[in-house]
Amino acid sequence: MHTQRRLGDWLFHICNYGFFTLFTLLCLFPFYYLFINTISSNDLSARGLVTLYPKMIHFDNYIQVLQLKGLAQAALVSGGRTIIGTLLTVAASAFLGYLFTKHKMWARSFWYRFVIITMYFNAGIIPWYIIMMKLNMTNNFWAYILPAVVSPFYVILVKTFVESIPDVLEESAEMDGAGYIVIFSKIIMPLITPIAATIAIFSAVSQWNSFIDTVFLMTNSKLFTLQFVLYKYLNESTSLAAIIRNSQGAVGNIDLTNKQTATSIRTTVSMIVILPILFVYPFFQRYFVKGIMIGAVKG
Amino acid sequence: MKAAIRPQSSMSRRSGSLIPDKFRLFLFASPFLVLILLFSYFPLYGWLYSFYNYRPGFPLSETPFVGLQWFKAIFSNPTQTQEVMRVMRNTLAMSTLGILTSVFPVIFAIMLTEIRTTWYKKTVQVLTTLPNFISWVLVYSIAFMMFSVDSGVVNKWMIALGFQEMGINYLAQDDHTWLAMTLWGLWKGLGWGAIMYIAAISSIDQEQYDAAKVDGAGRFRMIWHITVPGLMPTYFVLLLLSIANFINNGMEQFFVFQNAINKDHIEVLDLYVYNTGMLGFNFSFATAISMLKSIISIVLLFFANQLSKIVRGESII
Amino acid sequence: MKQGETAVAVLWWRGAFQSEKYKPIYRCKTYKCLYFKKREATALKSLRKTFSLLLATTMLIVSTAACTSGTNNGAGSTASTAPSAGGATETAGSSEQEEITLDVFSMLSNFSGEQTGWFAKVIKDKFNINLNIIASNLEGGGDVKFATMMAAGNLGDLVIFGDDGQKYLDSIKAGMLVDWTKDGLLDSKGQNILKYAPKAIEKNKANFGGGSSVYGIGFDVGDDKPGPSEAKDLTYNPNLRWDLYEKLGRPEINTMEDYLPVLKQMQELEPTSESGRPTYAFSMWADWDGNMMVLTKAWAGIHGFDEGDGFNPGGFSLVSADKDEYQGVLDEDGYYMRGLKLYFDANQMGLVDPDSMTQKFEDVVNKMKDGQLLFTFFPWLDDTYNTAEHMAEGKGFALVPFKEERTFSYGYDPYGGNRVWAIGSKTKHPDRVLELIDWLYSPEGNMISSNGPEGLGWELKDGKPVLTAFGEQALPANDTAVPEEFGGGTWKDGMSQLNNSTFKTTNINPDNGEPYDYNLWKSTLEKSPTKLDQDWRAAMGGALTAKEYLEKNNQLAIMRPLFTGTPPSVISDELEQKRGQVAQVIKQFSWKMIFAKNEAEFNKLRQEMLDKAKGLGYDEVLAWNVEQNKKVFGYRKQ
Repeated sequence: MHTQRRLGDWLFHICNYGFFTLFTLLCLFPFYYLFINTISSNDLSARGLVTLYPKMIHFDNYIQVLQLKGLAQAALVSGGRTIIGTLLTVAASAFLGYLFTKHKMWARSFWYRFVIITMYFNAGIIPWYIIMMKLNMTNNFWAYILPAVVSPFYVILVKTFVESIPDVLEESAEMDGAGYIVIFSKIIMPLITPIAATIAIFSAVSQWNSFIDTVFLMTNSKLFTLQFVLYKYLNESTSLAAIIRNSQGAVGNIDLTNKQTATSIRTTVSMIVILPILFVYPFFQRYFVKGIMIGAVKG
Repeated sequence: MKAAIRPQSSMSRRSGSLIPDKFRLFLFASPFLVLILLFSYFPLYGWLYSFYNYRPGFPLSETPFVGLQWFKAIFSNPTQTQEVMRVMRNTLAMSTLGILTSVFPVIFAIMLTEIRTTWYKKTVQVLTTLPNFISWVLVYSIAFMMFSVDSGVVNKWMIALGFQEMGINYLAQDDHTWLAMTLWGLWKGLGWGAIMYIAAISSIDQEQYDAAKVDGAGRFRMIWHITVPGLMPTYFVLLLLSIANFINNGMEQFFVFQNAINKDHIEVLDLYVYNTGMLGFNFSFATAISMLKSIISIVLLFFANQLSKIVRGESII
Repeated sequence: MKQGETAVAVLWWRGAFQSEKYKPIYRCKTYKCLYFKKREATALKSLRKTFSLLLATTMLIVSTAACTSGTNNGAGSTASTAPSAGGATETAGSSEQEEITLDVFSMLSNFSGEQTGWFAKVIKDKFNINLNIIASNLEGGGDVKFATMMAAGNLGDLVIFGDDGQKYLDSIKAGMLVDWTKDGLLDSKGQNILKYAPKAIEKNKANFGGGSSVYGIGFDVGDDKPGPSEAKDLTYNPNLRWDLYEKLGRPEINTMEDYLPVLKQMQELEPTSESGRPTYAFSMWADWDGNMMVLTKAWAGIHGFDEGDGFNPGGFSLVSADKDEYQGVLDEDGYYMRGLKLYFDANQMGLVDPDSMTQKFEDVVNKMKDGQLLFTFFPWLDDTYNTAEHMAEGKGFALVPFKEERTFSYGYDPYGGNRVWAIGSKTKHPDRVLELIDWLYSPEGNMISSNGPEGLGWELKDGKPVLTAFGEQALPANDTAVPEEFGGGTWKDGMSQLNNSTFKTTNINPDNGEPYDYNLWKSTLEKSPTKLDQDWRAAMGGALTAKEYLEKNNQLAIMRPLFTGTPPSVISDELEQKRGQVAQVIKQFSWKMIFAKNEAEFNKLRQEMLDKAKGLGYDEVLAWNVEQNKKVFGYRKQ
């Protein structure tokens, strides 16, 4: 019986490793493919001749992209909104999620639902824009931060998580006379680090990746984000198609077709935008160590 | 910030604050509720547009009131109704598949935590989130590169291996559109979706496993009796939320993959609304649709919550 | 694990909390606990460290951002945008007029952000103006961006409309545009406009300004003369790989269907491209399709029919350029349906790229470069294959006309086309915006916007313009580096991103007696022709360009200018919605029909398309289109 289990274990591991290796390669390949195309001869890559390994390596695309005007400023704005936004979002969502676990709160379930259902609200872009304008959120850096501070989804995650922690912990603290804020910061916060880290990753990535707010709210190029720059590049061919469609197929739009940015440049920009994200996740990974928290709590 | 607040709150606690607990809790929450009110509830006034023939730039008072005209327009004639039914069928199929495949990130997370080699585990964790960051436009260009008739590697290999005689345009097939789209979505979102469950697993008490091990429980027993129950709350919450999102598939993925052949099965509600140009300049109609969608979502949310109350005995929202 | 054991484990686990109060949590007794506590402490410490690090970084970023925004304004030419939602903002400038940044809201641009390079320098030097372009199509889709700006009541300083339809009319009605006749603005600042485009102003007054006000001016204002207004080529040309066609002995082509056997022979002659991929006659793309397939509509184009009548926006009618005739897109014997059948037959012969349905325009451009195509409709697409090397070898695309050809052509229109230049009513500087527009409507302004500043791309020799060495390299849109004194950057990036023209490029520039388009300068035409040009010209009886050949042989259908005195009628929302849905059906089935397996399936799909389109209201929309077209036929006679 013992040997049987060992054999089973062995098989399990082989399958497990096999699957993950395969899937990881599947995930890595497109990224790799895009990358080798950015460093291969642009002519070859345009003809689709670069598929498995780079050919005629050069870094002109990167040099050209890094010289783009306003790129440094855009990186600053993107970095700023990501860091400030993430800090505030994590703190606010964690705190609010915790508060919503308190049955004592006045009209708790009403307010909880009040927050949750906004996830499904869609009033359309115009009313949203008008409200943002009235709130002085156009050409204003805080337009990136404030609307994202309370995210219903994260609040739900925290609430669910906190509820899975035994109440006794808090009750004992309360008996000791600790206030909500003390309990939250001293007891809850350390316990929910895994979910806080998750929220931090989600929030950081969504801050880093969002561009729709820039599209509609910002006309000042100082407030443009990296992702917006990328979006404009990626959107060029769709936009060209739209211009042509709107003009009833007046395909004489020669200027436009000539002025399209080369595919290689566009791919390079997206590489440059993706790379920083890759460093965020490993950074938070340490909070996912199995079994750390409860074990520590138990005396 | 923390330091500034602490003495105050602990003091009020000790001296028996004047504000009862229930209102104090509400008070703590209120700044956030105000933000929600400002950024999420205020724009809802725009729902009024759906009852008017609204044109941007003109105040509502100068705009003709049309009542429910735009809501009726969705089912204006039999062919149109047929189209809407077709689109709804796709929407429901795609959402159902999405919900069915929502267990994969759970399995992914569980299996990944079973891996003991730390560096390998971490590498897999990071690399499998990569597809999530590549926009659908680029995903399609990669897909086209792989599956195109003349230059696609897939066709090259299939011909070389003798499975087919000549090139097939795999992207212009309509046999398994729903499945194919689900698989693309899964590929893009699996690693990313697993993050949440990996976090949840990491909060399960290690002692439980140790105790189980002492009892001689095998790997699968531990997974089934400790890990899975530990993940259930998170899974059910997410499931509930995705049920409420039943009619919101988004459109980017379907937009880039659509073509004349697969259109009958790929056109979900969001894409259809975009394709027909309904959103173009007709904001009243667009508002009517998004209002309907919001309402359906919220109804679904409460319906699913009720269901969870009956089945699991607990309410999620 | 057995049930009982689990229960015990859980109880023990819970007990661990129940037996102890808050404080003892941190009081460790066991070795194991100490271990975990240490780990927790480390984790917390690192968390705190992380947070403080993040905070510090944030502070740094915020302060740097503040600094850069502080310094940039003073730095001058490079990045001195300081616009607000309100549009132009002033900063101290060096020349007489204060430096301002104008928000240009353009529905035609495919670039957004600040105009850079040589064009920016010209505008800056001349007017002390920076252009901040907001491209509605690039940013969130054209109509949505436009709608938010309308809702906000501010369209920016300079506004460029893609057409003079509903959006333009709404903007006027909602008071979003400046009336140029107010305070004598046009008279004081619009001297060039009044001199060189008086009829365009007259049209705008009559059509959109109730006979007195002027809210904008149309593009492509032509000289007052007959004949085609195109440069070398027409919008739609049937272009074949000339070298292959010649090798076949230039077989005669009478009808459009006659191209197929010729193309088949060409494919047999050159079965693979430069990189070894198969060649096709037709490689198409779907992402430009609007109301119908663009590449099928092109067959109507070379018979003198096109969507839209030059006044109303297009729909489901194809209208003749010069006769009072129209066809419904789905007419049994119409050119559109004939085009579908032609493509179907071509596909049966292996002449259609099987990737056509799934590829995008960019992919076709790449295939074109590689030499995978044998036929195109668009002269500008030819240019991707007609490189200097190819043309020197005699390889390349050129017009191969057919007997029945009557290609659609636009005549000179002194009233101007339907893309409009206008001024936003919230601008603080209507006078300076008009000054800029006025300069663009001057011979000097038009010459510079199309060919660059004098001395860079071109120069005058004996009073006639010739390309400089730089110009030969850079024009029309190449990545050639521009000298620093002209603004630096590359030629292509520095081109005007406004994407709207003022005069027809074939107009004669009164300053030097040559057209604005450098391709038509005597000096350019006399340049030693490439082998391809020589071969083609020899075969075409000495005609220098495609236009010249077609004009000589009376194979053009030229649309004459119209003066209507009213704006185009606006389609009702209900019909517009139907149009959108029917267009979906037409496009989808067109593609399906082309790739049908056999004739029976082709016919079945055609019937299905007709049923579905009619069920969704095709006839209604077509009737509305035709009603508008007929009004135009009436105006044509006036």
